[in-house]
Amino acid sequence: MIEVTHLSKRFRDIVAVDDVGFTARNGAITGLLGHNGAGKSTTLRILYGLLKADQGSAMVDGVDVVTDSLKVQASIGVMTDAHGLNPRLTGREHIEYFARLRGMEERLIRKRIDGLIETLDMGEIADRRAEGFSQGEKMKVCLSRSLVHDPRNLIMDEPTNGLDVMTTRSVRTILQKLKQENKCILLSSHIMQEISALCDEIIVIAEGRVLMQGSLEELARLTGESDLEEAFMKITRQA
Amino acid sequence: MWSVVTRKELKDALRDRRALAALLLFPLLGPVMIYFMFNMIIDIAEDAVDVSLPVVGAEYATDLIDFLQQNGIDIDNMPLNSSPASEGEFYSQAQLDEISQAIKRRRFDFVLVIPPTFDELIGASRRSNVELHMESTRTTSSPKISRISNLIDAWARETAALRLIVRGINPDIISPVSVVRIDVASQQSRVQSILGMVPFFVIMAAFVCGMGVAVDVTAGERERKSLEPLLVNPVPRYTIVIGKWMAAVLFSATGLVLVMILNFFSLSQVPLEEVGIVFNYGRLEIVGVLVTTLPLALFAPSIQIFVGIFAKSFKDAQAYLSFIMLLPMAPFFFNMLNTQDREFWMNFVPMLGQHMLLTDVVRGDTPEIIDFILAGMSLLFYSMIFIFGASQLMKKERIIFT
Repeated sequence: MIEVTHLSKRFRDIVAVDDVGFTARNGAITGLLGHNGAGKSTTLRILYGLLKADQGSAMVDGVDVVTDSLKVQASIGVMTDAHGLNPRLTGREHIEYFARLRGMEERLIRKRIDGLIETLDMGEIADRRAEGFSQGEKMKVCLSRSLVHDPRNLIMDEPTNGLDVMTTRSVRTILQKLKQENKCILLSSHIMQEISALCDEIIVIAEGRVLMQGSLEELARLTGESDLEEAFMKITRQA
Repeated sequence: MWSVVTRKELKDALRDRRALAALLLFPLLGPVMIYFMFNMIIDIAEDAVDVSLPVVGAEYATDLIDFLQQNGIDIDNMPLNSSPASEGEFYSQAQLDEISQAIKRRRFDFVLVIPPTFDELIGASRRSNVELHMESTRTTSSPKISRISNLIDAWARETAALRLIVRGINPDIISPVSVVRIDVASQQSRVQSILGMVPFFVIMAAFVCGMGVAVDVTAGERERKSLEPLLVNPVPRYTIVIGKWMAAVLFSATGLVLVMILNFFSLSQVPLEEVGIVFNYGRLEIVGVLVTTLPLALFAPSIQIFVGIFAKSFKDAQAYLSFIMLLPMAPFFFNMLNTQDREFWMNFVPMLGQHMLLTDVVRGDTPEIIDFILAGMSLLFYSMIFIFGASQLMKKERIIFT
């Protein structure tokens, strides 16, 4: 479970996150919806411990991100906005590296990676060097290395950005499965379709502030619009 | 945990042809250069022993020529084809031109020209000139020329002394002082200055061989946008920095050891005893050199990693690190200008201490153990500061996200 209260972060004169608060439950997919630059990535970066908030608190499974960031990082899987791979390492080696950094046992690593390769259909790229991977292939490797340690919580920044239809669908399937396993999944997106297809809870963010939050139905009810895009436009225009 | 990082970075670096080329090619450069420079000097020295002297008019100076031959000079009569001199001249202009042409065309480096009246004048206790035609810019022939003129001078002194003795005069009267030359031959000092390059190449190797890796694991990581995902793992920053540092250290240390082995090998292939240098490397000296230089393999990558983290890209890193590459040259130049002996404080100046120690060891002196320890420890201390600094930098938002 991820709990955020009164979170604020400014970069020099720009307020990136302004008094943001929400809860992402276990067994649910929570989506941060907003334009580019709305503060989604900043919020997530504070959550996975790479940015320090100026105010407020962020807790993952009851552990404070500020005081115990390593413990938080151990309990989360993260897919960052940056998807850099090392051109001279293979797909499998990338995943192995992160698994080892998390102190996993070699046998378990192999088992988990083989499983991920199968579910994400990565057989062809697993043992090829990352040089020349397509965007989708890169994303698959990034997704796998954020899942390899079977984290209780998953934080994903635009997880399906640049993926083809096939891969997007398999990512969705994986996320649904993880939800069934009672994991807490928090993702950000600016794609309405994505959010409405996946999320149980939607948090609409603009200019660093939470404008509205609730399920798809609740948003529809509150705005009087059945379509998420219309609802989103209405919410952001009001603010 | 840092070893996970090190192993991954090594695996990556070993697949990087550029990094490998730097590792393997640079250590070759110094020893090969040293080998050829030594051989050149020794060849020149050897040549002076074994001089062949082209002479015009050898038959006019039988005694002098005998003397030169006794002293190991090979007399080579130079026949002249040009028209001989007319009345009143010793040699015609055409003949003199022929001689200078022979030197200019490098058939000879020098020619000794003896006038036909030589024996006649000497016999009459008078004085005669001989001409040594040469090209003074040809440095390779200068030891030979000075040997020949020295021999001619010696013959002249001997002849003068004989003349005086015949007249019942002690020859000491006209030579009240004689200079006894204690020969610190020029080639020997040249050899010393080449030996002085050994520490330079060793220190350079520490910087060059690990640089590719140090840049790749820092600026490369930032340029690839792979730093942020890496830092999301629950591993302290210093662990990651140490892991990366160690990968560069291994490359740097390998380069150092390679340079050392190749230097010893190339020095052992050069006949140093022929220029009068005793070059006796035992196990103790090799251990000494390793103890001196291995801390350099920790230091050089630490500073490169620190600087590399500042750089957003390979290009930036290269610009910054080209300044860092000047560092190993500093102690070299300092040593060239510095005439005083080693002083205690020099142990604490990074690289200068190592440079001094290496210079001593290469020249066959054994420095004090305390110097080894102090110089090594101070490098280790500086490395720790840079690694600590690098870990702090890796916490900066500006570094992680841009």
